[in-house]
Amino acid sequence: MKKSIILIVISLIISLIIPFFAGHFTLRLATDILIFAIMASSWNIIGGYTGYASFGNIVFFGLGAYVTGLLMTLLNMNFFMAMLMGGIFSAIFGYVVGLPILRLKGHYFAIGTLGLAEATKALVQNLNITEGNAGIYTPMPDLSINAFYNFFYYTSLAVLIILLFTTYMILKSKFGYGLIAIREDEDAANSMGINTTLFKSVAFSLSGFFTGIAGGIYTYQQGFIKPDPVFAVSKTVEMIVMSVFGGIGSIFGPLIGSILIELISDFLSSFFLVAHGLFFGAIIIIIILFAPKGIYDIISGRKKIGISYFLENIRRNRI
Amino acid sequence: MLEQIIINGILKGGLYALMAMGMSLIWGVMNVINIAHGAFIMLGAYATYWFFSLLGIDPFVSLVFSVSLMFMLGFVIQKGLINLVIKADIFITLLLTFGLELLITNLALLAWTADVRKVKVGYAAANLQFFGATIPLVRLAAFAIAVAITAILFIMMNKTKLGRAIRATSQDLDAAKLMGVNVSNIYSITFGIGVALAAAAGTLWSVIFPITPTMGGILTLKSFVIVIIGGLGTMIGPIAGGLVLGISEALGTNLLGATYENLISFVIFLIVIIFMPKGIFGGKG
Repeated sequence: MKKSIILIVISLIISLIIPFFAGHFTLRLATDILIFAIMASSWNIIGGYTGYASFGNIVFFGLGAYVTGLLMTLLNMNFFMAMLMGGIFSAIFGYVVGLPILRLKGHYFAIGTLGLAEATKALVQNLNITEGNAGIYTPMPDLSINAFYNFFYYTSLAVLIILLFTTYMILKSKFGYGLIAIREDEDAANSMGINTTLFKSVAFSLSGFFTGIAGGIYTYQQGFIKPDPVFAVSKTVEMIVMSVFGGIGSIFGPLIGSILIELISDFLSSFFLVAHGLFFGAIIIIIILFAPKGIYDIISGRKKIGISYFLENIRRNRI
Repeated sequence: MLEQIIINGILKGGLYALMAMGMSLIWGVMNVINIAHGAFIMLGAYATYWFFSLLGIDPFVSLVFSVSLMFMLGFVIQKGLINLVIKADIFITLLLTFGLELLITNLALLAWTADVRKVKVGYAAANLQFFGATIPLVRLAAFAIAVAITAILFIMMNKTKLGRAIRATSQDLDAAKLMGVNVSNIYSITFGIGVALAAAAGTLWSVIFPITPTMGGILTLKSFVIVIIGGLGTMIGPIAGGLVLGISEALGTNLLGATYENLISFVIFLIVIIFMPKGIFGGKG
């Protein structure tokens, strides 16, 4: 336990002083990693701990982005206020939509959330207020270049820390035990007196809140949003890949996954610009085959790592 | 006017049904949602395109070749890849097929570029007058072939030994194994058939609509929608789902405008999945 506290403190210090050493490019990459880490860690709450593999979490990102953007352009709202409202809107949306859609299980939930994201995207593409596919321009921060990069880095870092801390607190609470009970056996959890509908909806809405905040940060950073990138299904899959790669159902797994996947993906796209997606697909397949429990399972030191570990993973799941 | 719209909807619905048939089969038998389904449709379409533009083979003839080629590809993918993770959690197989989708689509982008192409057959403009409605012959032929393939599949699943083995495996894996069914091969054959059906849909698609390497994504989503609307595990499901989707899209886009096509499909989908998750025909839930 002591060791892990020391590790957390060290990584916290490193992450706080990165902007003093890094150039703009690195800082931008680090900010992207943080935003992805927020999304992956939020996904982890519903997908990892509650066991409901949402394939539509990007809907919260898109809603957060659009609410933030619209409040800033139409009402001239302050960025932090608008971002918070974006998160709250996503959270309420998650709760309300969660009530019917969380009754679905397994594949049906996955596809239901996917359909939800696509339906919302199609709606945003057709509404007047969101200006359809043309997208909306949002006010840019009035900052010097250096301050601009630092601002987004520290904002994202702060949100991520709050999110990880919240996750930690949830896991210590009755609520967290309830979620894990739902993942392991929902009927049993129900008969033990857990209000599963409420628990699941709150988890979904919490996941939505932080993903929505990430969307808000994205909007202010880009200065321009349109439906296609902010509602891209591929981003949901990226969240899931990051969580799986890092280790589902662990606090730091999704963070580790985001760092590694973003670094790999950045490395690939700088060397193989065209074939980047191809390698990404290959990496997903290799991870799924050989390490479906993620990096966290490997580095936590609970298991002996070697060829036999990877072969064991295949042996367990093949037919 | 209305009958024209409905006929258009039915013709497109037939194609939709064929498209979703493969996904429904794979999903129903193995509990795998094949996200690469649209990519296989795309491969089928491109196979047809090359057969046509390089060798000059008519799409309705080359259907036989592209379907058999894609069956073999599907068999190999299931045998060498998906069978290795078939017992894992659901999102593992989802992610695996997503990785496949990325791989195939990007290979296609590299090989064929993002250009939009079309199979320009000489008889594309031929049509038929039917009670004041115009029916393009190509679409009618595509519809007829979709119906014929569905019928063949229906007979195969219900009357042959292979069909019985597939259904047995889908009902109870262990019992099928005990009865001497080679489950691994049955899974591979099923996936092969599913991919071959996707390729058939792709072939017919390429005759009617333009094709690009990235056309698969939305087709995968539509196949989901159709499977869900019709209900899983029945042969009639995808047909009903395809027709419902085809007709409601045709009516909806006519009333609201073409940009609403996707919104209509997904709203129907959400209503069905929430209020009757077993689909219109109530297959296995």
